[in-house]
Amino acid sequence: MPATTYRPLRLFIDVGLWLLTVAITLLGLAALTFFIGRILPIDPVLSIVGEKALPEVYQRVYLELGLDKPLWQQFFDYVMKLLRGDFGTSFSTSRPVLTDLLNFFPATLELSTIGLLIGVALGVPMGVASAYWHEKWPDHVIRIIGLVGYSVPVFWLGLVGLFVFYYLLDWVAGPGQLDVFYVGVVDRITGMILIDSALAGEWDIFWNAVSHMILPALLLGYYSLAYISRMTRSVMLDQLSREYVLTARLKGASEFRVVMGHALRNAAIPLVTVIALSYGGLLEGSVLIETIFSWPGIGNYIYSSLFAADMNAVLGGTLLVGIVFVLLNMLSDVLYRVLDPRSRELAK
Amino acid sequence: MRLYKTLVAAALGTVMSVSGAFAETPADTLVIADAIDDIITLDPAEVSEVGGVLMSQQMYQPLVTFDPADPTKIVGVLAESWEVSEDGKTFTFTMNPDAKFASGNPVTAKDAEYSLQRVILLDSRISFILTQFGITKENVAEKIKATDDATLVIEVDQKYAQSFVLYVLSSFTGGIVDSVLVKEHEGTREDGSNDYGNAWLKADNSAGSGPYVLTKWDPKVSILMSRNENYWGEAPGVERIFLQHMPESATQRLALEKGDIDIANKLGPDDIGAVEGNADIQVLEGNSSTIYYMGANVRDEALSNPKVIEAMKYLIDYDGIAETIGRGTIKVHQTMIPDGFLGGNIDYNPYSFDLEKAKALLEESGVSLPITLDTVVWNVPPYPDYAQAVQATMAQAGINLDLQVVDGGPWLDRYRSHDLDIWVGLWGPDYPDPHSNAKAFTVNDATDPDGAKGNLADRFGWNSGPLSDQVLAAVQEQDTEKRAEMYEEIQRAHTDSSPFLYMFQDSRRVAMRSDVKGVVLGITFSDDRYGAVTKE
Repeated sequence: MPATTYRPLRLFIDVGLWLLTVAITLLGLAALTFFIGRILPIDPVLSIVGEKALPEVYQRVYLELGLDKPLWQQFFDYVMKLLRGDFGTSFSTSRPVLTDLLNFFPATLELSTIGLLIGVALGVPMGVASAYWHEKWPDHVIRIIGLVGYSVPVFWLGLVGLFVFYYLLDWVAGPGQLDVFYVGVVDRITGMILIDSALAGEWDIFWNAVSHMILPALLLGYYSLAYISRMTRSVMLDQLSREYVLTARLKGASEFRVVMGHALRNAAIPLVTVIALSYGGLLEGSVLIETIFSWPGIGNYIYSSLFAADMNAVLGGTLLVGIVFVLLNMLSDVLYRVLDPRSRELAK
Repeated sequence: MRLYKTLVAAALGTVMSVSGAFAETPADTLVIADAIDDIITLDPAEVSEVGGVLMSQQMYQPLVTFDPADPTKIVGVLAESWEVSEDGKTFTFTMNPDAKFASGNPVTAKDAEYSLQRVILLDSRISFILTQFGITKENVAEKIKATDDATLVIEVDQKYAQSFVLYVLSSFTGGIVDSVLVKEHEGTREDGSNDYGNAWLKADNSAGSGPYVLTKWDPKVSILMSRNENYWGEAPGVERIFLQHMPESATQRLALEKGDIDIANKLGPDDIGAVEGNADIQVLEGNSSTIYYMGANVRDEALSNPKVIEAMKYLIDYDGIAETIGRGTIKVHQTMIPDGFLGGNIDYNPYSFDLEKAKALLEESGVSLPITLDTVVWNVPPYPDYAQAVQATMAQAGINLDLQVVDGGPWLDRYRSHDLDIWVGLWGPDYPDPHSNAKAFTVNDATDPDGAKGNLADRFGWNSGPLSDQVLAAVQEQDTEKRAEMYEEIQRAHTDSSPFLYMFQDSRRVAMRSDVKGVVLGITFSDDRYGAVTKE
């Protein structure tokens, strides 16, 4: 069969094309952020030197930032540096942007992952139940829960949550990642406090971190749950009305088997996209949650850098978010193939 | 690592020995919540953000300082004494032989020479504070000079008031670094020039003689300082100061009430009001030197008429705004120098909302009403609130403020290029001397007719007449008492005649746990002193 002979080449081309698409996407993202940053009526020099600085100081920083060069060349220089893995230096932290990203992103990754797990663990069953008992009371109850999660501003929920569970009831710890006397005790390995403290065997710190994380993670979970359960409901409604469901029922399959075995299995494919998108949304970092809970995450980092006109930091952060989305896309493609035999056939 | 474990054990012991479930900060650590994402450096030669100055003040000491309760009292810190030459141009400081750095090195005049020179040699963004004395990169080696280990000589270009030079040296710019230590860490900048240890001091390092040393700075997250074991003054009361980034006022309030933080530096008026009745919490009141004002661009025909300006001064409901919008965060203040500064406390507030008087003045002015004025306002609180309140009262007399609420960038741009009629803004002095404000609001600079360099009188097109020379005379007055009187006189005339509508001065109210003792609030946002803090 000649087809098999070409398969490695084919794979090579596929991967190559994919990489090219990714590269173009990221380049486009970098270009967009870069030029928007330059068009905005903000003066990065002024935000470094302050408005009272002497003209020669202004000039020195102006030259240091390379702002005397034409725009296209500034962008070209930036991309060339990027290719060498150099994201530039953030003037507001005086550190390489890459170091900053590695510092702030794990905190968001950890919180969002737990938030998403909560959202999926609760949202999918709720969506299924909502579709199964369509227009009956469970559907209404779940819809109201979802609606509240989706429509109430998350900063308000955050403050109320802190007030009730931290201030009044004392069930959880307050803002920040750890109690003050634990800060800096365990060595930083992954940057994710739960993993680092577990690796160090510091279980007191681990539980303290859990106590700090539980409330913001639940809120993020609740927020994504609202979306996930709504989408699950509509996908499941569609599946449950299909003929194969009727067939399965006629063949005498139990209701549980019909819903979980047949309908949910088929619904899983579009749900992968929904969940991946929710995850991406959480990984951008929820600025409001991070602000209220004093969480040292990427959302806050990009936000405060933007306000400081710290464009290297903003560009780096935006690219990171772009890479996260590309990776999630890839992950959901892979999951598609695992879940859907047809896409495997097509791929051949 | 071991240190931390001991600390944890001690802290756990404290928590466990306390009955009940409420949280508590470790007894030997002062935990301060603040918004610290604006801090970009802690190097005293360039620091100027509120939070950065606050922290570097705990680590570095100036040659001289003043008593926050009475700024006319200037006392030596690293300098034991000083003398000024007959012509007022040469300042000779004798260093305090007891002073030593955290490294154990003695503080010498060489350190002071190096520290002050590097502000200028670095082309630092705050170098203007020292270059105003005629010191440049070229002549700095001559003008700031240690003649031996104990003697530092500073030469200024003309005769200034002693107090002016000393106040400037007392500010954050005048923080002295350990030159032996910093020189070991000098590097090069991108353009190949010496960085005088700037990069090293921007990382987790400090080289001061103050009560605390920097232990860990995690930008935008937290700053940890530890007691300086070699401190040459009285040992600080707490082992550590931990500054945590907590930008949200409501969160700070909950954490303060809960006892998870000791001091909340960024509480808004609502939250201050809410914690005031709490017996576990005390609210300290202090001054902040920020002045809120409206500047009228007298290039506008109507605004060039002094009667119109005077009428406008009667068309602001000062008390009403302070009560309903400010709610304890501001007080009415109608002069250019803030309370707390030399010559500042004169309590001269001649204007209050008086519609009849304003109408009469407008009638006299002969300007045909109504007039509409382009009013540029920054789009963050409290400016839009102030502007709207003023808009409402001015409209009653036929002066319509066309409010243009814009972002910070355009707000400053239009102010610098005087492309507006009214600017709603603020002024914060650069160093704790009245000249910082008096110069900006009064002095006319013939070489810079549009005030590009920051002279606001020129920027708003106002010829201050004899007041300009009076200010220049005041900054040369050698007798501090007399100097204070001169500023008092200038301020009254200035308030009466200038196109600046001074409205308020920030009041500082800082909430902290009742067991925190010894915090000294400075006269600006950023010179609070934590060296004597204890927790009982």
